[in-house]
Amino acid sequence: MTMADTTQFLSRREKIIANLAVILLAVMTLLPFLWFVIMSFKPVDQIFAGVSGLFFTPTLENYAGLVNERFVRSIWNSIVTSTVSTGLALVIGVPGAYALSRAGLKRDRTMSLLILASRMAPPVAFAIPYFLVYRTLGLLDTQLGLIIVYLTFNLALVVWLMRNFFDATPRELEEAAWIDGASLWGTFVRIVLPMSIPAVLTTGMLCFLYSWNDFFFALTLTRNSAMTAPVEVVNFMNYEGWEWGKIAAGGTLIMAPVLVFSLLMRKYLVAGMTAGAVKG
Amino acid sequence: MGDTGRAAMAEGPRRTFASQQNRFFWTLLSPVLVVLGVVTLLPTLYLFITSFTPLSLATPGTAWNFSAPFSNYKLLLTDERLHNSLWVQAKLSLATVVLQLLLGLVIAILLNMRTPLMNALRTSFLIPMVLPPIVVAIIWKVLYSPDISPAWWLFDWLGWQGVSPITDANWALAAIIVADTWEWFPFTMLILLAALSQMPEEQREAARIDGATSWQVTLYITLPYLKGTLLVAGLFRLIDSIKTFPLIYILTDGGPGTVTEVSNYYIFSQSFNYSYIGYSSAVTMVLVLIVLVLSWAVIRTVSGKGHDHG
Repeated sequence: MTMADTTQFLSRREKIIANLAVILLAVMTLLPFLWFVIMSFKPVDQIFAGVSGLFFTPTLENYAGLVNERFVRSIWNSIVTSTVSTGLALVIGVPGAYALSRAGLKRDRTMSLLILASRMAPPVAFAIPYFLVYRTLGLLDTQLGLIIVYLTFNLALVVWLMRNFFDATPRELEEAAWIDGASLWGTFVRIVLPMSIPAVLTTGMLCFLYSWNDFFFALTLTRNSAMTAPVEVVNFMNYEGWEWGKIAAGGTLIMAPVLVFSLLMRKYLVAGMTAGAVKG
Repeated sequence: MGDTGRAAMAEGPRRTFASQQNRFFWTLLSPVLVVLGVVTLLPTLYLFITSFTPLSLATPGTAWNFSAPFSNYKLLLTDERLHNSLWVQAKLSLATVVLQLLLGLVIAILLNMRTPLMNALRTSFLIPMVLPPIVVAIIWKVLYSPDISPAWWLFDWLGWQGVSPITDANWALAAIIVADTWEWFPFTMLILLAALSQMPEEQREAARIDGATSWQVTLYITLPYLKGTLLVAGLFRLIDSIKTFPLIYILTDGGPGTVTEVSNYYIFSQSFNYSYIGYSSAVTMVLVLIVLVLSWAVIRTVSGKGHDHG
């Protein structure tokens, strides 16, 4: 990206003021987040110690407190449900997106609307019917139940983003392979898929993030054995009093992978959140 | 288009290849259609059907009872708590969308000056948006809890006596608005930054050379250029604000009273705390309809504007 120098017309004073404003805004943005992370390393008594609690010896005791069967299981549930749902969405969605792109079907607004709306609909619209059906099928409080629900947003996202990717990819390579006598399946598996690996990985990471971040479905469709980490952390607020140390440690653990992933692919964040209707 | 044209002109072996291709594409496509239909369309249909029943999990025999199909929808018109929730939603949505657009715009314009310092700090502005929503809610719970919040230490030191805004009926909604603005201004900022980075320089340079000040350039050239992008970003935030949940769940639980009870939250408590599934389904259908209309507006705006946001 070549960028014209937009600072050339700014006076020295303007530049200083703008820089200071950005610093101030960045501090205001980061402070709540940093405070929380720091809190997770504080001894419990220092959390309530007021200003004197600013000076403390970092400890891992809050994290050690999380090593119990319930919390470890909830992290495991988060990992399994997010990973499997992402994998399924990719396996089903990527070939479909390829077909949509190459079959030359016209992009129509109805489909765009349905895919966007299924992403934007309030989760409660799905939670109610899923709750009723799962009660009958015995899928309440199971990993499989969550995996299926996460497909409601993951699959639409995969189809949408990967279709955009395939639309922007020239089809000459495939056509050359066909002319050389390669089969349709062979071309898809040996030529199309390898060249889409980066796009598939990015899309997969986005799906993983949305599933990992889910709170509403886990809250309404699990009770105990399939409960994911976001809901388990909230339970530290209810059952055993307000264990702020554990809450901060648990919250920091949940956000760590998300933070790493999403900063790695910040270019695609907006495309993901708007189901590809707006690129970032 | 190209494929169908070519297929029509093709003869002999080419034609069979075209039909092979067709079969192949359908083989790839049908799993998506089937699964999407099962996981999204069927549940929506079920929700729609349930909205005509008095289904309550506490009362047996209410599941497929269509004796008074429109009673839920009639109740919508007289349910004052629902009307209140829509009003709360309107206030919350309006305030957060406006604040997020303003803050996002200011920061995007600043960051677009691209001084080395700004480029270094750029990523830090993304953090609130990428955090799990539940963690954002907990972070603000900490900040709003007097016994552990650094803000209250400062207030103590200044000699102020303040109650927490989330327990004060006058301030609870404002507290949610502040937290939500913090969480989502990065979204509008990112979209605006993307648009700014594609803005042609000529106009601005010409204006500068003619002696326009930075303010004038921003006001008369940059802002009009961003109009469409602001609309799209605002619409997206508006739709998304309808699903605000973790913040309200953690910070206020809809209270005090019902001052922060948005429609989404009202449905949640009616369906999952009180098991009034039939009625909740009817209210949900209304929300889904609103989301559909707004999504349609987004698609119209985006596709009408072509590649401006690409």
